[in-house]
Amino acid sequence: MENIVLTTSPETPYFPEVNFDVQSGTCEIKGESYMEETYKFYLPLITWIKEYCDSNNEIVFNIKLIYLNTSTTKCLLDMLELLKKFEEKGGKVQVNWYYDKSDPDMVDEVEDFEAEAGIKINLIEKE
Amino acid sequence: MPYKTILSYKGPFYIELISVFGTNIRNLNDSFVNARKKLFKIFIELSQNVSNYSEDYHMVNNIQRIGIGELCIRENSEHYLFSTKNQVKTNDAKILTDRCKLINSSEYNQLRKLKREQRLNSLGEKFGARIGLIQAVMLSKNKIDYEDEVIDDKFSYFTITVKIDKI
Repeated sequence: MENIVLTTSPETPYFPEVNFDVQSGTCEIKGESYMEETYKFYLPLITWIKEYCDSNNEIVFNIKLIYLNTSTTKCLLDMLELLKKFEEKGGKVQVNWYYDKSDPDMVDEVEDFEAEAGIKINLIEKE
Repeated sequence: MPYKTILSYKGPFYIELISVFGTNIRNLNDSFVNARKKLFKIFIELSQNVSNYSEDYHMVNNIQRIGIGELCIRENSEHYLFSTKNQVKTNDAKILTDRCKLINSSEYNQLRKLKREQRLNSLGEKFGARIGLIQAVMLSKNKIDYEDEVIDDKFSYFTITVKIDKI
């Protein structure tokens, strides 16, 4: 199983930065996410989480998105549901959502994710 | 208060273009930071609806379908007004009208519940979450204006306008 490392470019600000690391068990998505064909972008990340959870006991998921469109929220929900299943099977899961306190709508969004996926999300204010 | 136009466009809704327009919105030279954030989010959602669902479209390399439509952003001292217009099938115009009526008749917490249900039950993949309109109203906290302009017995132009308060 390999790491996934995707960097951003000023020409394509609608793709987030991604760093899924097998050794540390830490997954991070950062920046903005509003690309076309969202599911095509997220499918390899969803597959990675499935495979990782099949052979590991612990995962940390850090979300540092400033903006995500509603298609992205659907893909994130799919990932959080996978993490919930992993947790139910005994896996240790930590989900951290870093948010900008000047964005008043993000906290409601995270609460909705918690309710929909049934998983605890730690809200962390960005410095 | 009269409105002045700050952005107007008609053509294919390529992501590269949406992104540049979005950056311009974020960089508008005014002091309404929160309103601009909301305008940006609503702009992306509704523009991508045109890109994904307009019945008038370009095919790129015979693979990718890019919807064609119109957008307009206007402002006065109190509000931004953002509109999109695109071609839809007659039957879809009726579905959209019913959806707009439902959204406009719902309180914030009902919309939040509707959004959660819709996202959970959405098929995902190419269909996305199908909650862009709900999100636009939840963000703006204003009702949407909509208009179904019949072209012929098969198609209509559907216009959606969202008002974003500056303060």
